[in-house]
Amino acid sequence: MPGIDECLLEAMALPGARGAALVDWSSGLALGTAGESPVGDHETTAAETAELARAAAEYESFAQPAPAAPPAAPGPAGSTGGPAGLPVEDLIVTTRTGYHVLRFVETSFDSSVFLHLWLDRAEGNLALARLRLRTLAEGLVLR
Amino acid sequence: MTSVPVPGLAAVSPLLTRLAAERATGALLRDRGTLFLEDGRIVHAESPSTPGLDVLLTTGGGLAPERWNEALSEAGATRQVARFLVDSGGLAGGEMEICHLAAIFDAAFFALSPGSGPSRFRRGATHWIGSMRSVPAAAVERETRRRRELLDAVWPYPQLDTAPVVPRPAAPGQIVTARQRALLARADGVRTPADLAWVLGRPAFHTLLDVRRLAAAGLVETPHTRPAPPPAAPLPDWMTQAQSPDVALLRRLRDALEASL
Repeated sequence: MPGIDECLLEAMALPGARGAALVDWSSGLALGTAGESPVGDHETTAAETAELARAAAEYESFAQPAPAAPPAAPGPAGSTGGPAGLPVEDLIVTTRTGYHVLRFVETSFDSSVFLHLWLDRAEGNLALARLRLRTLAEGLVLR
Repeated sequence: MTSVPVPGLAAVSPLLTRLAAERATGALLRDRGTLFLEDGRIVHAESPSTPGLDVLLTTGGGLAPERWNEALSEAGATRQVARFLVDSGGLAGGEMEICHLAAIFDAAFFALSPGSGPSRFRRGATHWIGSMRSVPAAAVERETRRRRELLDAVWPYPQLDTAPVVPRPAAPGQIVTARQRALLARADGVRTPADLAWVLGRPAFHTLLDVRRLAAAGLVETPHTRPAPPPAAPLPDWMTQAQSPDVALLRRLRDALEASL
């Protein structure tokens, strides 16, 4: 039953990990941070990555509503709200010197959070990081 | 967006800064909310302006209200409600932390708002929710300041925060996102942003911010404060001062009226 700190520490254990954060994309607040920030200030990075995540999470081209969701009909899987999961799973930004992976976290209540992991381009393993972040995001909400 | 110290904004609450420095434990009470401190760090906050943890957790159906009530009756007396919810499997540990932090920063934004009145500190007071994660008081103050600036950077009309939200039709081809649609569908022209936060089960600050974004996009009416009525120019004395009635004229009028009867 890992909390935010354990989750970020595990993300930082990935090869090439330089910084990690759990961010609320609606407000731009960093709920937790570990390691360093590309600009030396986690709060600035949180506000900037939040803007990117918000665009991806909200624009219809990416965030298409789940097909099997007739409006106002109480779905059979009532307890989890969106049985199909979030429309956008993650975002990857490749820069000259690194990778940024933003993984959305689905909670049982109305929230807007994602995990941000910053990796060194030479040492980081993007495929591994993507899989690991998925597990970590699921672990945060595992009962 | 860096935290350059701005004169006049340095201390959101001097008392909070002092309490954090002396690592105090207790409740800081202000007009618009209460901050709970433990060893100088903030462990909980609540405000009448924001939906509480119960609303945030149960509105979407993620947590049954019965489970919340059970946690209250089982662990309220020992002040371990949050811990009980997690240990009993009602909620994941990470979810509880995410939601609790959201609630703390949300309530602190209103509790520390300017004009929240004088502060009182009740030493030793704790909250029944119990402590999950603590946040440095300085981080809460910094975030509160950032949030104020963010609201004004999006659309500098503070009247939007308290006025009923009135939707406007989208322009042809204008994009309205799913979250915005959810908010607009409940904006009936009577509910204020705070009311919408309760109905949606979202933090109040998030709703304020969404409403400002909607207003900036022209999807919500921006209430304009009526311009203050221009100070009534004093009328000159010769207009206002009652003049002595023309007695002779009145008498002639009366005579004429009587003559015509």
